[in-house]
Amino acid sequence: MLSKELELLVALQDLDIMIKDIEDVKEIGFDVAGREKLIKAREDLAQKLAKPIVFNYEKLRKRYMRSIVPVKDDTCLGCFMRIPTQLITRGRTDREVISCEGCGRILYWYE
Amino acid sequence: MQVVWSSKENLNNGEVMQTSDLVNYFSPDLFLAKLKHKSKAKCLEQMAALFVDSKCIRNGEIVLEMLQQREKLGSTGIGKGVAIPHGRTTATMDVHIAFGKSEKGIEFDAIDKKPVHLVFVVLAPPQEHDNKYLPVLGKLVEFLNETKNRNKLLKAETYEEFVAAITGDSNAE
Repeated sequence: MLSKELELLVALQDLDIMIKDIEDVKEIGFDVAGREKLIKAREDLAQKLAKPIVFNYEKLRKRYMRSIVPVKDDTCLGCFMRIPTQLITRGRTDREVISCEGCGRILYWYE
Repeated sequence: MQVVWSSKENLNNGEVMQTSDLVNYFSPDLFLAKLKHKSKAKCLEQMAALFVDSKCIRNGEIVLEMLQQREKLGSTGIGKGVAIPHGRTTATMDVHIAFGKSEKGIEFDAIDKKPVHLVFVVLAPPQEHDNKYLPVLGKLVEFLNETKNRNKLLKAETYEEFVAAITGDSNAE
């Protein structure tokens, strides 16, 4: 199980990717009148998170398309660097928001 | 049909997508010469089932749900008898396009309010290395903007005729 904050962050990222896709297809000529609903949902979701977490996420989003990535086989799936054992333990047990020491992306464990 | 086509035509490797390249994303399993239903919901169900039967996707339900949610954001009926439902889904590993044709027409809530005869469903994975999804979508819209192309597709009864219409190969028609 993901912590509540991580769950919200992953949902926020999904919404951001969806909004970006919608803006791209709008350029092609598709009707995306409902885009405003997505933006509103995104704003509402962001308000449920602590400001420093959102600030960190926004900062990372400028660098990476996906700033929240899963960990698989103890490896960050953003930069493919192995996660130190200490962080793995904290990530798996404490359910806090943990960043990769290699790339800074926010990590989540789903296994 | 409003088409504002620009740099999204370029693939990540710098190559410009050609209309004939679209053929790579279709397959005989994803071709339906006769769509049975007249409603948008049933049409989407039938198209999602086509993907399931062709084993291009892992889960038909999540694809159908995604397509329905996309329609809520705005109809993908882009006018002139054409609809291009599209979206990204974890159910697929690559870009796939299914084609369905309806002689009677489908009530798709299109921007020109006219019934839809040509349906193209474009599915893409959430992440792609070569970013094909948007160039494919754009090229498809550009191709369908031409009346002669739409007319050729309306006449296509077999997959071979359909491919010939896309590639512009008159000998194969």
